[in-house]
Amino acid sequence: MISGRAAGALSRRLRLGGGTSIVGLVAQRLYPDIIGHLAAQLEHGSVLITGTNGKTTTSGFLAAILRDAGLRVWRNREGANLLRGVAGALVVRALPNGNLRRAGQAISVFEIDEAVIPQAARLLEPRAVVFVNLFRDQLDRYGEVESVASLWRQMVKELPETTALVLNADDPTTASLGELARGPVLYFGLEDLTLDVSGQDGQGTPGTYQVVDSRSCVRCGSDYHYSARFYSHMGHYQCPHCGLERPSPLVRALHVRQDTFDRLRVTVETPTQLGEIVIPLPGLYNVYNALAAITAAQALGISWEPIVSGIEQFKPAFGRGERVQVAGRTLRLLLAKNPTGLNEVLRTLFSEGTPRHVLFVLNDNIADGRDVSWIWDVDFERAKGLTASLTVTGTRAFDLALRLKYAGFAPEAMTLIPSTPLRALEELTGPQPRGRKGKGRGRTRRQLQEGQAAAAMTSSAAAPPAEETTASLQEMAVSFPGYGLARALEQAIAQTPAGETLFIVPTYTGLLEIHRELERRGLTPHYWEGRD
Amino acid sequence: MTLTLGHLYPDQLNLYGDRGNILTLKRRCELRGIELRVVGLGIGDALAPDEYDLLFIGGGQDKEQAPVAQDLFETKGIGLWAAIEDDMPVLAVCGGYQLLAHYYRPAEGPDMKGLGVFDAWTVHKGPRTPRCIGDVVIRWNGMTVVGFENHGGRTYLGTAHPLGKVLKGYGNNAEDGTEGAVYRNAYGTYLHGSLLPKNPHFADHLIGLALQRKYGLRRLTSLSMPPGEIMNGSTPAQPASMEDPTTLLRPLDDHLEWQAHAAILERLGLYEEAVAALRRAKAA
Repeated sequence: MISGRAAGALSRRLRLGGGTSIVGLVAQRLYPDIIGHLAAQLEHGSVLITGTNGKTTTSGFLAAILRDAGLRVWRNREGANLLRGVAGALVVRALPNGNLRRAGQAISVFEIDEAVIPQAARLLEPRAVVFVNLFRDQLDRYGEVESVASLWRQMVKELPETTALVLNADDPTTASLGELARGPVLYFGLEDLTLDVSGQDGQGTPGTYQVVDSRSCVRCGSDYHYSARFYSHMGHYQCPHCGLERPSPLVRALHVRQDTFDRLRVTVETPTQLGEIVIPLPGLYNVYNALAAITAAQALGISWEPIVSGIEQFKPAFGRGERVQVAGRTLRLLLAKNPTGLNEVLRTLFSEGTPRHVLFVLNDNIADGRDVSWIWDVDFERAKGLTASLTVTGTRAFDLALRLKYAGFAPEAMTLIPSTPLRALEELTGPQPRGRKGKGRGRTRRQLQEGQAAAAMTSSAAAPPAEETTASLQEMAVSFPGYGLARALEQAIAQTPAGETLFIVPTYTGLLEIHRELERRGLTPHYWEGRD
Repeated sequence: MTLTLGHLYPDQLNLYGDRGNILTLKRRCELRGIELRVVGLGIGDALAPDEYDLLFIGGGQDKEQAPVAQDLFETKGIGLWAAIEDDMPVLAVCGGYQLLAHYYRPAEGPDMKGLGVFDAWTVHKGPRTPRCIGDVVIRWNGMTVVGFENHGGRTYLGTAHPLGKVLKGYGNNAEDGTEGAVYRNAYGTYLHGSLLPKNPHFADHLIGLALQRKYGLRRLTSLSMPPGEIMNGSTPAQPASMEDPTTLLRPLDDHLEWQAHAAILERLGLYEEAVAALRRAKAA
């Protein structure tokens, strides 16, 4: 225990990151039962939240509600959603004698990676498990959607009768878990049929391509029929073959209205209440996140007032619509890590037809998923003609720029800044400018001649004169001024007039990089300090 | 001019950004004044070979692959065989590739019978065998083709010719350095990513084959390499003059395409090849 805490202090001093994961890793090695041992001391037990998209925001909503209800809420840090993160979150609150500090009135709300949720449930014996949704995500890491679904099915069969399940009625695979549950099941869903997008989807209509990750009936394998579809496979479905249909939800959003870009006004009905709640976030996906949290609060017996106040006072987590002020501009960070997530961010940004300043960051590090083929299923066509400025960066900046070209964006209308220099290009054009002050290309006469010689080698009789060829190679270098995230951020901010908003849409590690960059400039708190 | 592309199982087999392949074929045709019609062919739809000039079949989950395998064999098998014997260009990626070979033996459950177009078969050696995942580069027609692969099954070639030789990555089985398979104008491959946007030469090769077959443009023959020559690094002939029907495939502005191609080559340590790709960008 002591060594676990010492490791935490050390890792924080060394700035390795939040530190709690490393503490947890050490603690779990020293004491394999640590999670169960500590969690059992929480007076109000724990709630687990999982799903592909919206874990962090849903657990944030629920934590806000529970705090307003007078509980002491402990959470794991966003991103630390494996067992070591859970262990870490508990261990940092342990006393040297192995007891939890201030366990009275305490409840833990843990967001858990969708592949780890079975082990977490076994160790924690939670009061409720919330399944927000299931989408295609990181094919290289999780495998197919179906393999996650079968993991969940196995887990639900093993849950004790005392654990409540909170399920999204509109997501067929998630909803079907209810049939296997031994304990209580509480569904949430959307009833506002004006949000139906079915009839617009499919190949026919450009600009509304929908990714559908769960298509066939979990019971009999036939394709679902939808009477209303809100996005991807979310909606009111029925299997025409075996009759399996969307369960009737306990907590229902009857009416959804976007107030401003930032605020959604939702009429929510529970078995005992009917009222309007303002969600201080954009996007239909956040309605589902709020409904999930409200339903979990219902499962825990929380009254209506803290539910309303908790949601309405909610402060977005980093990267989930959070605002940062930089040089008279507002930066809005909208994490998007899979096709449905990005489609919904684009819909939120562009459905009003207002031109936006946008910086996309596409990375393919392990935590993002190495496979970026999913960008071809994202409806970037929706943004065409609606970007006031557009900057593209990340380890896969070229792939994204190419995707945008196919969506109808002229390559010259984007600022393409790869995260590393393309050295092969330097060989042809001389070194690229680096950093803010790098203006000259530093080309020597010899490099120029080599460039021309290289051009001459591949040019046929019909090719233009050597000078022009060299010029086109220079243009190629100009098409990405410098490289690296800091450079991209600077460019994007420079292209956003003072007083306006720059929307940053990164994948997961892109978000971390943005955070580090802002932190370097003293613009955001360390995020492990900004929590709990 | 019009070409019709049959997109097999667009609903079931669309896991790996396969839409990018369709968008690429469509765009590259339309920039040259060729209309490309895309017709989706789902489960239960028959395949009349005369109605199509190109076929595409993508990859999917194992769950979706089983009903597709049955439909492919029972409903579309004869039409597809006839089309392929009649030199229709076919691109089959990942699951689609596996189903055009003899069989796919999954980690659990019965074999899925394939069409046997390629003399090849695929075995999944069980859940403990690691998947082949990562960026991949092959040598094809003397040029590089880049993509991303993510497959549990290992494909072994009988008499089938490989599509290319693996420069980086796993390929068919991570053992013999081969990637994909070719029979007449049918191409099977594990490369997605999406494949065609970053490989404009390969996209044009398929379009050229379709034009040649439909409109009898004989001089396009030079674009189509006999399978035996694929491994020896020869390059296809370039279009010669305005009178040449191959000007239908006149170069497009593929700057960004080749930059994206070169970026993959360079990150995999294929520096010389990346320089060559950037020179190609300049030529475009």
